[in-house]
Amino acid sequence: MSLLEFARGPAIHASLIILAAGIVMRLVGVLMLTRGADLSRPRDAFGNFKGYRTVFSRAWPSDEFTTVTRYQTVVAYLFHLATLGVVVLIVPHIEFIASLTGLSWPGVPNWIGVALGTIALASLIALIMRRLGKPAVYNSTVGDYVTWVIVALPLLTGLMAFAHVGFRYETMLALHILSAALLFAYMPFSKLMHAFWFVFSRAQSGVAYAHKGVRI
Amino acid sequence: MSAQIEPVAGPAPIFPTFEQVFQGFANQIGMLREMAPPPTMPDERRLARAIDTLIEETNADEAVWLESCIHCGQCTTACHYFQATNEAKYAPMRKMDLYRKVYRREISPMRWWFRLVTSPVKLSEFEEAQELVYDSCSECGRCTMVCPMGIDTASLVHHMRSAMVAAELIPPELAALRMEQKQAGTVFGSSAEALKKMVGIIRDQAGVDIPLDKDKADVMVLSSAVDLVGNGNGLLATAKVMNHLGVDWTIRSDGFESANFGLLSGDMALWKQQADPIVEAARKVGAKTLVIAECGHAYPALRWNPMLRSGGLPFEMMYMSEYLGKQAKAGRLHLTPLEGKITYHDPCKTGRRGGAFDEPRAVLAAMDADFVELPANKEYNWCCGGGAGIFLLERATRLRDESFRIKLRQVNETGAEGVVVSCASCRLNFEAGRQKNHWDKQVYSLVELVADHLIDDDSTAAAAGAQS
Repeated sequence: MSLLEFARGPAIHASLIILAAGIVMRLVGVLMLTRGADLSRPRDAFGNFKGYRTVFSRAWPSDEFTTVTRYQTVVAYLFHLATLGVVVLIVPHIEFIASLTGLSWPGVPNWIGVALGTIALASLIALIMRRLGKPAVYNSTVGDYVTWVIVALPLLTGLMAFAHVGFRYETMLALHILSAALLFAYMPFSKLMHAFWFVFSRAQSGVAYAHKGVRI
Repeated sequence: MSAQIEPVAGPAPIFPTFEQVFQGFANQIGMLREMAPPPTMPDERRLARAIDTLIEETNADEAVWLESCIHCGQCTTACHYFQATNEAKYAPMRKMDLYRKVYRREISPMRWWFRLVTSPVKLSEFEEAQELVYDSCSECGRCTMVCPMGIDTASLVHHMRSAMVAAELIPPELAALRMEQKQAGTVFGSSAEALKKMVGIIRDQAGVDIPLDKDKADVMVLSSAVDLVGNGNGLLATAKVMNHLGVDWTIRSDGFESANFGLLSGDMALWKQQADPIVEAARKVGAKTLVIAECGHAYPALRWNPMLRSGGLPFEMMYMSEYLGKQAKAGRLHLTPLEGKITYHDPCKTGRRGGAFDEPRAVLAAMDADFVELPANKEYNWCCGGGAGIFLLERATRLRDESFRIKLRQVNETGAEGVVVSCASCRLNFEAGRQKNHWDKQVYSLVELVADHLIDDDSTAAAAGAQS
């Protein structure tokens, strides 16, 4: 079995199983904990549900904080959108998803794929530069840096494979797939789980404050 | 003092000015440090109790919040203590690091892993965290407003305070007051006798009646240690306003204290010991409304405490500013106009974490005040830096003083001549800041301002009527 065959076969499949099982384990393990009841009388008898809008409204900082958070918000949005584009719009990725699920959709031309990958990697670098530059603000842990590397690797190897830089193409492609497998397997055990937590975390706070008649 | 806003002419002052009250309190607070009880349990026991407390208090909400932080750093922009110092340790997210460590090792679905890769929690870690959850977090909740995950750090800090109580790691001033309230039921000696004495002074010297210990009343009003031990004007003003409204009201000597050092220290058993008699007294007198004195944390201690089933109570609980605002909106407060430009500071506990925004503003509107909002107001208001007991902590003086400058700048930016607050802690902290910075602004309590502007006799009523 060549490295590429290993990457395309057992490696990526095992990582996807870890991804799915890990996400379920962590979500269920937390969400099955008891919920503390708030026995106080709500300000508005039917107002608590309004808190759920925080799940959506917190997608952008309020006017009070737009100036101070502009860099982080804009760069983080660039990163998330470009990365999402890279994952679901590049033709080989769609083919991989189709091989797993049977679902497929048209991809984008190569130059757009490269542009998206470049934007994703550049914004990721911009974020780490800021993290390194303002240690007091970011309270970084080893996990933050490990996560950064594991997220950056698939972007870097993907771009290198496409541009035929580094090792020969098959090796680069295998490394790219292996780095993606590493990302999948790592995801449920890292802060990348925020992809799920944000919904619950925002909703909880939104409801807790709506209970008191406060919109956050 | 060149106050632009003159109170309506009245009799000579009976009680000291708030400036003098503040000085008196500063001396009393100094004595607290010597009275703090030393730890009594062995270290292992203190540590085990702290960890057990966190395990017990961690529900799905706390777990999700602890899981959600991505260290994006945005909370630092919202925190007055971080903004004032730029010191890494005061970043709001750091205040839950130890809680997260305990959570990961004891509760998280990944605990088998974290027990392998992290070292056991030590008592020294709780000792180090003491400054983060007491001195440098007023549980104001402003960081929640910016957090992209919406993490409610203030709630997590409160659980940490409970763990600190279990570990006998309460800062000395809070520990002394907690002990006093636990053993004697008083705060700074504000006993039922002190209340009776104060009611007597107000009746004899100001000629204002306070219906103490009525068997039945529609409205039961609370007082606070600040009123009874220092600022008699607070209780006097409350009485004037309640009498002006002509409601059937009382103050009960068996449930009058708003201050709750159980809540402030994190000792929820003491919280209950204080809250229960108040609820019981209000039930006994058949109150329809319980009015909480201008004592910010009493609002979450009573009205919003998640452990107090207030939906089932036969009375409504309101903060003083809320009660006054409802009266103003109903046209029952007849007030002379307020001269000069004024702004309003939302105390964290009644504003962002309480939702009483409109009512204090309605009171100022009833005085035809030239009212201007702070640049950051309501949900976004900056904490004054003195909340959640921090005003009492001597070693937090630098944090308080530095962070108060934010408030000072915000008020200055409005161009107002005075700032109205509706919380004794905020007011004491504003007074400290005013004196230290030789600040040219006036600081007012909402209820005292209302009392000073009541139209009680026919001549002032006619004069005000002619004006409008």
